Order: sequence, then structure tokens, then C-alpha cells
Amino acid sequence: MIANVKNKAVIVGIGNTTFSKDSGVSELSLAVQAVKAAIDDAGLKPSDIDGMATFTMDTNDEIEVARALGVGELTFYGRSHYGGGAATSCLHQATMAISTGMAETVVVYRALNGRSGHRFSGGVAGDITTADAIHWGWYMPYGLLTPASWVAMFTQRWMHNTGVTKDALFEVAHSTRVYGANNPAAFFHGRNFDRAEYDAARMIADPLQLFDCCQESDGGSAVIVTTPERARDLKQPGVSVLGVAQCAADNQEQMTSFYREEFAGIPEMETAAKNVYAMSGLCVDDIDAAVIYDAFSPIVLWQLEAWGFCGYGESGDFVKDGALRTNGRLPTNTHGGQLSEAYIHGVNGIVEATRLVRGTSANQPKKAVNHALVTSGVGIPTGGAILGKMN
Amino acid sequence: MNEHKTLTRTEVSVGDKLPAADIDITTGLVVCGALATRDFEPVHHSKAAAQAVGLPDVFMNILTSQGLMTRFATDWSGPEAIVKSVDLRLGAPNVPGMVMTVSGEVTTLDEDSGLVELAVIGENNIWGMHMQGTVQLTLPKES
Amino acid sequence: MTTDEQKAIESEIYAFVGQQVYPPTPAADDVNDAMIRQWAEIMGDTNPAYLDKDWAASSSREGTIAPPAMMYVWGQEGFQVTKGRAPNAMSNLVSTFDSYGYTGVLGTNVKQEYFKEVSPGDNITIEMIIDNISERKATGRGTGYFFETLSTFTDQHGEKIGTQRFKVLKFIPQEQPATAAPEGKLDVPSRIASPRGHDNKWWWEACDNGKVLIQRCDNCGALRHPPRPMCGECNSMEWDSIESTLDGEVLSHTEIHHPKIPGYQYPLVCAVIKLAEGTNLVANIVGCSPSEVQIGMKVKGVVEQIDEKTMLPQFYPAQSGRNP
Repeated sequence: MIANVKNKAVIVGIGNTTFSKDSGVSELSLAVQAVKAAIDDAGLKPSDIDGMATFTMDTNDEIEVARALGVGELTFYGRSHYGGGAATSCLHQATMAISTGMAETVVVYRALNGRSGHRFSGGVAGDITTADAIHWGWYMPYGLLTPASWVAMFTQRWMHNTGVTKDALFEVAHSTRVYGANNPAAFFHGRNFDRAEYDAARMIADPLQLFDCCQESDGGSAVIVTTPERARDLKQPGVSVLGVAQCAADNQEQMTSFYREEFAGIPEMETAAKNVYAMSGLCVDDIDAAVIYDAFSPIVLWQLEAWGFCGYGESGDFVKDGALRTNGRLPTNTHGGQLSEAYIHGVNGIVEATRLVRGTSANQPKKAVNHALVTSGVGIPTGGAILGKMN
Repeated sequence: MNEHKTLTRTEVSVGDKLPAADIDITTGLVVCGALATRDFEPVHHSKAAAQAVGLPDVFMNILTSQGLMTRFATDWSGPEAIVKSVDLRLGAPNVPGMVMTVSGEVTTLDEDSGLVELAVIGENNIWGMHMQGTVQLTLPKES
Repeated sequence: MTTDEQKAIESEIYAFVGQQVYPPTPAADDVNDAMIRQWAEIMGDTNPAYLDKDWAASSSREGTIAPPAMMYVWGQEGFQVTKGRAPNAMSNLVSTFDSYGYTGVLGTNVKQEYFKEVSPGDNITIEMIIDNISERKATGRGTGYFFETLSTFTDQHGEKIGTQRFKVLKFIPQEQPATAAPEGKLDVPSRIASPRGHDNKWWWEACDNGKVLIQRCDNCGALRHPPRPMCGECNSMEWDSIESTLDGEVLSHTEIHHPKIPGYQYPLVCAVIKLAEGTNLVANIVGCSPSEVQIGMKVKGVVEQIDEKTMLPQFYPAQSGRNP
């Protein structure tokens, strides 16, 4: 059975804080700044918000964000688990709450001091919950304890199976950096980047080198989701959720699904893609642009395959033909992605996908963007959404 | 006269590796190194003072590390080489009981001036990189 | 820290830039053989340019020199520093940092450049200023500022013999310093151990005893790893285990380069290994260079003592002859 959520929830406001390596403020401050920016963008008041959705990893309690902003009563709050896998899951939560009437106007937010505070690159050796610690315990003693090392393990096998080379990884890294160079909010703004710099950068966990890895950032991002009825009265053109899905596939682990018959793949995203297409009544040919979760360069390639832009093992040729570029088949990560704009756990990606449909990206493609894809992190339970212009 | 050989600029190439040296970090080396460099900060000779800043024992002072790095370079080059600069970044402390392995290689060579640059790293067996940097030397034209 | 607090500290600290720490001060002692010999003995430096007058006389320098690395030694304050230092621009700067909570201190870089060699009998004058202070930075130790002193050294003829730049990080410590190990015993870091709970403790205890076990459903016989309380095939909660022969094949691998974690030995290769029994296991590959590890390679494992606290399965190339 396919859920009937098409056109029942509409993104009406988006907001980012400044992205930096040292915000000098609390994560709560970043969260309320991002939420306030999104509320202002929508032309709403804080008291219009009655629901909130964020990550289990976010340290900012909904009630603290609500009190700081003067939101008042909340009738919905729901959190999504699994790191960056939660990005579009929060949108999924908001869409379910709005389409069932549990809330009218929900803010999705994520704020973190990901560089000056807890850094993901430090790995899982620090404070973690007991249940998770048992899981990571199968890897920590061997030194396999950073996100880069887990993704490297999948990448090595996937490259072996498919024959895809680092030329394709470079194209993902390079295309987002070209976009980032032209986005004033991005870390890579105004910077040059070439193959020599990519090749010379230090190895992190082979085959991943420094520029295959995303930024570590301080910042916050938020989007406001409401009903189509409400959206029609607001100042921004509405961007509808046409389909949204999450999926944890068989034999799933967090970042370490090494126990499947063939583990060089992301079956959870294939299921999410199938369901999003079915909900929206759209197919791969209808997608005009995309924001594909890019904590590491190779994971963009796997997702292109999972969403059907090309077959298994064909993503290398797909991107090397320039598909991700501004005049290509699928302009992708036009804000610079998390490789080049900032790592806000994919919620800055929902902001960018909304801009692409509004027509306001810093790197807006010349062609019409009627449908934009946005995805969550992979290697974990994941998901995605297709956004489009509100009717 | 010369049982002390000095490398000349024609005998050296970029990429040459210096013979690695293992240096035992003893309490004697830490304390006496501090005194020889007239560094009387208590953390280098008083275990209690070192423990008060969170280390298990007295730890090596910077001027001793710098002295060891220079010695490593001139042990390789020979005595007629002229030391032009020592530039080092400090890492984990050297504490008695550790062994620091120093290694290095020639990274640049200007045959006209005889200036060579060595990349040198000293890593201890417990905490890793203790010192890392460059030493510049001028080598003679002929011995 | 609020922006206001940041403005307040920065208005104070940046005023120190350019201030003199030491006005030009001649060393109490001339460059001398006794201190050079003591330095060379302790450093293990046998350079005849410092020590051997006869050799030096016939060398291109025509006499001994002081080790260049002793440049800063000649002007050092003496034993009185154990009782405290007289206030100067640097100690005032440090106190200013401390008063704003930037109590951590870490020397990060020192660079000496030498323009002229000095010999016994020369007298060295040092002058030191606070040369620059960075903007606020997030570092691994905590948020802080780098300040750099610049010392200039001249000889008795007023000729510049060298400079020293010394960079120090003053930071807000993220946590209290670790307490010293009991009896001052060196606390050697070991590999990060898995926590042990109801569902995995038995596996790690077997590993401590040199065995790799695989959980087996008592009802349907299905093998499973990592262990879990119920069989996904038949939902039985009864299980026992078999011991793996540790014959395996590499399904994927990665060499861990960065970050390097204390307690781990590098090069470090992690791999997913398909065991002959059919389950997969993550472990290390050892006994060959990392570049020799290939997908499809046959490996043979043994449980080894890695450090004082850690027993782990380690896999060797099956044909290497080095395997156990």
C-alpha cells in the first residue's frame, strides 16, 4: 500500500544561519536563529508553529526551541533516528503530522556545532549510548571507528564490483566545489579546486581522501511545512511535498551493514525511491534537479543508481558526462552540497531543494525545475522526497 | 685530518632518507636536557608538578627536542655543514619510558648555494608524533 | 562566549601586540666551553665542531662554535623561575587570557633561524616582543588564540645572529586534565574495547580465551553474527555456538590513515572477512603490506594479544608462510 500524502504538505519557509567553523554560540542559539529565519521567510509568527520535527542526534529540545522563540503550544513533536538518515525523515514526520491534522504548521530543524563542538571525524570512541556502544563495539577495537572508515569499506567493494574509478569520485567532489565557489554562504566560496589538489590531499581511509569528505560545520537549517490551504495565503510560492519515504532494509545496521549477501549497495534507498515515485506519480525522467546527500563523494554515485538515473555500476559514466553540472541532465547539489557548502546533516539540502523549485538557487539551472529530489544519508536507514511547485 | 666526513652538495639527492635513530626517553634525559638548556620550569624536573598538569611524569622541554632534531641532522651531514634554521611543530609529550624514533628525508636541494631542507619527524612509541618539522643546512662544495 | 565577551577580551589582548617582553638584555655568561660540553653530552651530540679544538682549528671555521640550537639557552632566566617570574608583557598577556577562562596553555611551534655562528667568548643579547596574536580559533584542545613571540639575538658587535619565533596556544580547556596514573605508572593507551552486555559478553570472553565463536540457533541451526537474542529465521531464543576455524576470504578492506588514534598501531588495515562457516566478521589484516591486501584474498586468522588489555582476531595472508 502506498501512502496518500501527495500535495498535502507544503514547504513555505526556509532558513539557514551563517555557516562557520566556530560559531561562538550555543547549538540552541543556532537552532532558534535558523527557525526564526524560516518563520520570517514564510511571513509567519512564531505562535503559528504548532509542531516540530528534528533528529534524535540534535541536542536542542523542542520545548527549549519553543520557549526561546515564544512559540507557545505544541501539538506535535517527533524525532528521527540514524544520523543523516534523518534529514528527509523529519520532512516525512512533518508531512504525516500535517496530512493527518495532528498539526497545521511544523518546523523541521537541525543545528549543531559540528566543528567547534563534537566532531564526527573523531569517530564513535567518545560518549555514546549503551545500545549503540554494543554495536560499535564490533568495530572499535579494530580501529574502524569513523564515518569515513565505514564508507571506505563499502566504497572499496563497490569500486571492485563495478570498475568505477576515482575519476568519478573526483567529478562528484569537483562539481559541488564549482557550485560552492559561486555560493556566498559556502565554505568553498571563491575558492579554486582542481584535480592536482584533490590527488595531493591526504588519505583518510583508502580509497577516500580529504576532498571526498564533507565539511565539519557549525550552523543550523530549518524549513516550515504547512497545509496547502495555509500556504496559499503566505508570501512565498509554496513548494509541495509530492512524495516522501523512509526505509530500513533487511539486515540493516547503522553504517556497517556488512552482513548482507552483497553489501556493496543501498537496498533501503531503492525501496524509498520506489515508494516516493509511486506516491508522487512521477518517474525518474520527471526529476529536473537534485540535492543528493553527500557526506562522502561515492555515496552520491550509489544514490544516482538507487533512484534509477542509471543502472548499477553506471553512475561513474553518468557523472563523467557532466550530468551533475548546471547544464547537465541532473544539476545536483547546486548549493555546493555538504562537501562544499556546509554539513548541516542534510537539512541545508532541503533548504536548497526548496530554492531550486522556487527558482532562487545561487546556481539556478537555466531549465525549469518543476521537480527536485532531495535525499537523506545512506549506509543507514534512509529516505528521500520529491518536491514540486504547489498547484 | 678528517675522520669526520661531511657530505658535499653533490653527494645528496632529494628523496635521500636519513638513518633513523631510536632515542630512549629516560628521566635522566628529560631532567638533564632541561638543565643543559637552562629551562628550570618545574614540570621538567618535578614529577609532582608534571602530574598537576595531567601528565604521568616529567616531560621533555622544547629546547631539548630542538637540540635532538639538530643533532639528528648534523649526525647525518657531518660537522662542516652550517645549520640555517630549525622549524618544528610540537605534538604529544615525551615522557620517561617511551622510545622516540626520529626519521627524515631530503626534501629540497639547491646545488648552487648548497642549501638542503630536511623533513624530520620524531614519533614516540606510545602517543605518536612528538615533533615534526624541517631543518635547513648548507653543505660544502667539496670536502 | 557571547560576542560582547569576545570583543572585551580581544580589545585587551590585541593591545599587547608589539609590546616588549625583554628589552635588549645581554646574557650573564659569555658563550663558553663548559655549557657547550654539558649540552652536547646530554644531547648525545659528538659533533667535533662543538667539542674538538684541534679538529676545529683545522676545519674551515678555524675554531669551535656553539651549537646553534643553544642560541636561546644563553639568555635564559635561572633557577629563580621555580619561585616565579617577574611580571612582563608575556606574563601579563597570559594573566589576561586566564582571567577570561583561557587557562589552557600549549607551546605549538618554535622556529629558529641562524644568520651567524657564534663561538666561545661571544656574548649574546636577546630582545623579545609579542609579535602577533591570531583571531579566535576552534582547535582540538578547545577554543583559543595563538600568540607568537619574536626573539632577536645579537652578538657583542651588535650583529644579528638569529631569530626565534615561538607560538603558544591559550585555550579554554574542554575538560579537566586527566588525573595522573596511580604511582605515576605510565598509562599506556590500549585499543578501545567493546562494552560487554547480555548479548555479546560471551563472545568477547571467548575471544579473551583465544577463540572466535559463531552463534548458532539451537532450533534451526542458522549461524548468526554479530550475536543477537533471537533467531531471525525461526524466532527461537535458544542458541549455542561453534568455534570458527578462522579460514576466510576478504570481501572488502580499508587502510585507516587519519585520524590516528592512540593505542592503535599503524599501518592499520580493517577488512570484512567471509569465514568458511559462512558468516562475516570485521577484523584486521596483518602480516603483509597494506597494498598487498586484495578483495578475494584468502586469509587465516588467529586470536592475538594486541596490548596489555586486548585480545583480537588478526588475519594473515593464507599463503604467506607467516601465518600462525
